[in-house]
Amino acid sequence: MQRLLLIVTTASYRAGAFLEAAGRLGVQVVVGSERPLALAAANPQGSLTLDPAAVGPAVRAVVEFAARHPIGAVVAADDDGVILAAAAAAALGLRHASVSAVAAARDKHRMREILAAAGIASPRFERVPIAGDPRDAARRVGFPCVLKPLALSASRGVMRADDEPQLMVAFARLASLLSRPEVAALGGAAARHMLLESYIPGVEVALEGLLSGGRLRVLALFDKPDPLEGPVFEETIYVTPSRLAIPAQQAIATATARVAGALGLDEGPIHAELRMNEQGPWMIEIAPRSIGGLCSRTLRFGAGISLEELILRHALGLEIESYERENLAAGVMMIPIPRAGVLRAASGQAQAREVAGVEEIRITVPIGQEVIPLPEGSRYLGFIFARGQTPESVEAALRAAHDRLAFDIAPPAAARGGGGATPEPQRRAQAW
Amino acid sequence: MVTITEAASGKVLALLKAEKRTDAALRMAIEGRGPGGFQYNLRFVGQDEQAADDVVIDAGDFKVFIDAASAPNLQGVTLNYVQGPEGSGFRFDNPNPVWTDPKAVAVQKVLDDEINPGVAQHGGFVTLLDVKDDVVYIALGGGCQGCGMVDVTLKQGIEVRIREAVPEISRIVDTTDHAGGANPYYQPSKGGHSPLV
Repeated sequence: MQRLLLIVTTASYRAGAFLEAAGRLGVQVVVGSERPLALAAANPQGSLTLDPAAVGPAVRAVVEFAARHPIGAVVAADDDGVILAAAAAAALGLRHASVSAVAAARDKHRMREILAAAGIASPRFERVPIAGDPRDAARRVGFPCVLKPLALSASRGVMRADDEPQLMVAFARLASLLSRPEVAALGGAAARHMLLESYIPGVEVALEGLLSGGRLRVLALFDKPDPLEGPVFEETIYVTPSRLAIPAQQAIATATARVAGALGLDEGPIHAELRMNEQGPWMIEIAPRSIGGLCSRTLRFGAGISLEELILRHALGLEIESYERENLAAGVMMIPIPRAGVLRAASGQAQAREVAGVEEIRITVPIGQEVIPLPEGSRYLGFIFARGQTPESVEAALRAAHDRLAFDIAPPAAARGGGGATPEPQRRAQAW
Repeated sequence: MVTITEAASGKVLALLKAEKRTDAALRMAIEGRGPGGFQYNLRFVGQDEQAADDVVIDAGDFKVFIDAASAPNLQGVTLNYVQGPEGSGFRFDNPNPVWTDPKAVAVQKVLDDEINPGVAQHGGFVTLLDVKDDVVYIALGGGCQGCGMVDVTLKQGIEVRIREAVPEISRIVDTTDHAGGANPYYQPSKGGHSPLV
């Protein structure tokens, strides 16, 4: 029986889908995580503690393990593990994109440098130290501009500034986020800088693809029908297939393949975010991993296999009968966090499930937990999934279901029984 | 088949009078199994709610209805009412084994000896709810409920060990409402906990 190393962080939503896919394929899994698993002792061959921030020792641990228990593929479920996965695969001589390519994709500034050098349409950009002053760089880049971390995910920390006062507020806010111990501790150089880019107007799409021998197969193209114009860039609805004209979709695929080629990405899943305007497609970012959160549940291929099974089959060199997505339209809403506080209740779920086309609603934040909206936050309240005959019907179902949900979020101080102080993120947001 | 102590009988009568339902019967049932063994249900029902296959016990001042499914596991039970510094309530003294199916006994042993000591380190626990044919039904609680790594705990730990120990088991079903977890050990975030490299 083949064995797969799945690198997944303890904060991931993705472990279950990959383990389920591995189970269907009859593949043994060893889970590599940054912290020990609860039942590591019960199944010593089933897990490894691997710190993705310490790639060298982690790779040595993988190689030692593989000497006793041969590994046939290495797959990272999340951003955090992709460089370790690339390094481990290289050490074991397994199919994977190279470490240099993956590292370039993980560092937004490095990615911009490479794409610009390759003559690929890019915004003006500069890297700014968090201890520095962004105003000179902003004058060169021009307003409106976007400040973003070099390596955070899911729009966390990304903010638009239309003028210098907004720039300074956003800069201070992002610098504060990057200085948080839990971020700075693992951040290395990426935690000491941020990227300042010129704002690219246009509609945004997400491309899910699989690279094989340098060839890109587009697995799905998602429209993001909610405008993403700032001041923060909260992703909400993804719907596929795209309603863009076919030539525009082809241009997006071509641009993505060119970006992947320029970075040296040639194997494995990619998740790319692009903007489309009258000048054509612009790469916002490309990640050498599959779509995040629970969003992959929207995707079914061929006879109904999951995205994760497709990825594992590719990594293991198993036959893939079809890369074709099902005929139905599908979509997901990542339920945004409307304000900071403590989640007290999530009501209306039964009514929301009754909306035609809605398949599932998952509230993923436990009652009683603190919730933090973007740009500091990194979670959603949950996910709504829908399928239908058309993208329009799916989008309408997602919005109707969301309208039926109600979230009781108490200010943190009130939830603790204290006074009514406005939570910090809200107070800061008033500066916009 | 069931002994009701004087204290329990007196408390039942007092409750019937308080609720002005002196004509009601007491329905006694086993509704599941938990970390402490059987989980019981006691409630008042109308006389017309007696099912044809109920076991009926005349306790003197009131009747006790026991459903057919619960009856074997309530054989020899003593229902008592206790009061003490830690609180008061009905207590069942049940001489029956929680599990009689050898597969369930074996699965419970795996949970007791290997799984629960492991997940207890993360503040969690796993309860065996039932074994039907070759399917095991469990619920996860404490730090496991809503934990971001619960799928790994389930598939890489619980499933592996149960299948190794009880090869007849083909499937383990997690019935937990993970959205209801109040204190999950690991919490997921879309972009990962520490997204910087």
